[in-house]
Amino acid sequence: MIARVKHVLILAALMLFSMQVAAQETEQEREPFDDRYCMTCHGIDGVGNFGVQAPRLAGMEPWYLERQLKLFRDGLRGKHPEDTEGLAMQPMAVLTDESITDIVAWVGTWEYKPAPATITAGDKEHGESLYQTCATCHGINAEGNESMNAPALAGQNDWYLVTQLQNFKAGYRGYRDDDVYGSQMRQMSGVLQTRQDIIDVVSYINTLRKL
Amino acid sequence: MSKVVSRRDFLNLVGAIGGTSALIQASTALGLMPGTAAASELNLQAVPANGKSAVILGAGISGLCAAYELMKSGYQVTVLEASHRAGGRVMTLRSGDLVDELGNRQYCDFDDEPHLYFNAGAARIPSTHNNVLHYCRELGVELEMFINENKAAYFQDDNLMGGKPIRNREFSTNVRGFLAELFGKLFSETELMESFSREDAETLLSVVSNFGDLDEQMRYVGSTRGGYASGGFLEHGTAHDMIAIRELINRRFMNEVLTANEGETGPMLMQPVGGMDMIIKGFLRPLGERVHYRSLVRSVQVSNDSVSVEYEQNGTTHTINADYCFNCIPSHLMTGIANNFPTDYLEAMRYIRRGEAYKAAFQAKERFWEKDGIYGGISWINAPVRQIWYPAHGIHKQKGIMLAAYDYGGGMHFTKMTQEQRLEAALAQGEKVHPEYRQYMEKGVTIAWHRMNHMLGCSARWQRDRGGWTDDEENLYHRLQQSVNGRHYFIGDQVSQHSAWQESALLSAHWALQDMDQRQRAQAGA
Ligand SMILES: Cc1cc2nc3c(=O)[nH]c(=O)nc-3n(C[C@H](O)[C@H](O)[C@H](O)COP(=O)(O)OP(=O)(O)OC[C@H]3O[C@@H](n4cnc5c(N)ncnc54)[C@H](O)[C@@H]3O)c2cc1C
Ligand code: HEC
Ligand code: HEC
Repeated sequence: MIARVKHVLILAALMLFSMQVAAQETEQEREPFDDRYCMTCHGIDGVGNFGVQAPRLAGMEPWYLERQLKLFRDGLRGKHPEDTEGLAMQPMAVLTDESITDIVAWVGTWEYKPAPATITAGDKEHGESLYQTCATCHGINAEGNESMNAPALAGQNDWYLVTQLQNFKAGYRGYRDDDVYGSQMRQMSGVLQTRQDIIDVVSYINTLRKL
Repeated sequence: MSKVVSRRDFLNLVGAIGGTSALIQASTALGLMPGTAAASELNLQAVPANGKSAVILGAGISGLCAAYELMKSGYQVTVLEASHRAGGRVMTLRSGDLVDELGNRQYCDFDDEPHLYFNAGAARIPSTHNNVLHYCRELGVELEMFINENKAAYFQDDNLMGGKPIRNREFSTNVRGFLAELFGKLFSETELMESFSREDAETLLSVVSNFGDLDEQMRYVGSTRGGYASGGFLEHGTAHDMIAIRELINRRFMNEVLTANEGETGPMLMQPVGGMDMIIKGFLRPLGERVHYRSLVRSVQVSNDSVSVEYEQNGTTHTINADYCFNCIPSHLMTGIANNFPTDYLEAMRYIRRGEAYKAAFQAKERFWEKDGIYGGISWINAPVRQIWYPAHGIHKQKGIMLAAYDYGGGMHFTKMTQEQRLEAALAQGEKVHPEYRQYMEKGVTIAWHRMNHMLGCSARWQRDRGGWTDDEENLYHRLQQSVNGRHYFIGDQVSQHSAWQESALLSAHWALQDMDQRQRAQAGA
């Protein structure tokens, strides 16, 4: 009996050893990959890419970037079945904390250039009056305000701002109470009653510059 | 008000000489059936060795073709490819390969044997695709037949016959019988004789009767063409019971099945021996070191007499200046890369949408389907996996790679799932056709083209509506096909009106090379 147990143990040890060798060998041969794949969608140096509907990341506040990645990762954003673009981003953020830290630092090296305005036909004066409410949190020049937890809006891709405002209104973003800041913004989106209001306020934001 | 054609009018139309060939000509003109033509003849003017240069963006089949032709004509060429591999949507998976799907990276764990591969992108070469075939010949790519339709394969629909799978031959025999009987009921011989001669009318009815295997009263009462329920060799065979075909063909799914082996996916189809990427390897051999991997294009600036391209490799940024640039980077990715393209060009790039095709495959421990009389071909399942493909290569070997799902667009059903969910769905749906399916399947791979790194789509979608190309779409397309300053050319099947085929990708490259050549000749002549 004892002899048999010993035998099995040796066999198990041998197997373990050979498995380790096999694992090392395959790891060496295998094509490596890393998590720094953001540019495929967000454009070179995070300039934003209309073709994939992925917004500008360059120049984004590190605290906001990190928060969004964690919201996506934890399924608090990008899980609503109607949120097409959020659903595309959500699995991309299933990353470890270390990886998120690395990526936030990496994104921080990208040069900020304001996104070109594509929505300008709205009523900017009306947009300006609507924006007064927004300014409390997002700042007079839409430059963002960390103490209010609100990111910069100026310089962001305007088509993306439109999607977000629609998504907040429809409850595709900020749909959970434990998404404290998202649900706060979802309430604020009530200020914009119609699609035209959204176009107007974004047309106005397009006239602002953050730096 | 649409004009109602009487049965009499209809018969006259059909009876009129040349009626059908006229129809064929009309449909070619409408672009329903691609016209046959010889491989396009490229006759590029040779340039003094390395006297002119070209940079090719993306090692898709169109980019590699352009690089190869330019190299042959004496150009100094450089191919920049963002991925670790060449081929783009021509992707064959083998033991150990990385599937670079963002959010779902996997390694393919198939056994290491030549017949155990999976064509995760392009898989079929129609015999009308002369340019693909031309390069196979020129590059020494060995071909074998690909089997699309197999009368022994199955159709399965939960809502029909209690979900019981039926063989293709049983299904198609019954469909033919039903349609032929219908025709017999519509037109009597006397009626037919008003538009045809007696002889013609008789011939017509006998053809119809034969088509459906009808009895003397022009009734379909079952046929042994659908296979035997029992017997057939040492004893007389007995036919299967007829199936309620009215119910069967009254469904969209069957509609799709009935047209699956017509047109471009009709016989004969081919595949390279050992995997579709043998074509890519064929181009790569002569190109050698000219192809640079993991080289991400960052910027494309076109001037009047050159193109400047910036790219990043291993964290270092490089710049290349070349006389010409041929670019097959998917348009929806190019919109995120710095460039100085004209606005109407950009508008065209922004217009195109991307498709969502998805494929999955398993390695089977045993080729159980061959014991069920299936050698190659496709079974159809009215479920999200849609199809399962049996490999026609490696017959009677121990294992085989089986396509377990092919959703060729129109939804993100599988894309949204986790890897585990995808594999489980494929098993659960495959079991509908082969109850023993699950026990034979090992080592699954899945590929959601919508999420593949550096691709993010299965093919360009130019048309917003099913109705056909609008004038605006035609204009945008023709704009994108034109060069910028005669220096930068967009290529790839995205710059064709028949995307999702390698032939279109090759022809787009030829179009661009010819345009460049003409300009050069004109300049030289001036
Ligand atoms: C599921 C599926 C099934 C198919 N079935 C068939 C079939 O049966 N028969 C058939 O003939 N065709 C089929 N096709 C279509 C065929 O695969 C394509 O038409 C053809 O491969 C397209 O080639 P392309 O030259 O346009 O380039 P693509 O294959 O689109 O290549 C583009 C290249 O650009 C690279 N790239 C992207 N970004 C950058 C960057 N920033 N810098 C550098 N490089 C970059 C990519 O990595 C890629 O290699 C199928 C396609 C799919 C997806
Ligand atoms: C498959 C494409 C894709 C990839 C890869 C991808 N993203 Fe995204 N990302 C998107 C899309 C699309 C959106 C827009 C979501 C929306 O509209 O709600 C988005 C949104 C975001 C947002 C929210 C921006 C905001 O202002 O709130 C952040 C942050 C982000 N991505 C960061 C990243 C980072 C970092 C990476 C790399 C680790 C990455 N993404 C990779 C597609 C992608
Ligand atoms: C009470 C403070 C507050 C007010 C007022 C407010 N916001 Fe916000 N907004 C926020 C916060 C906080 C966020 C960040 C949510 C998160 O972290 O997910 C946000 C996010 C957004 C976003 C998404 C940005 C991105 O990059 O994804 C947009 C767009 C936006 N707000 C627009 C507006 C507009 C327009 C108004 C005025 C109608 C407005 N906000 C008013 C607090 C506010």
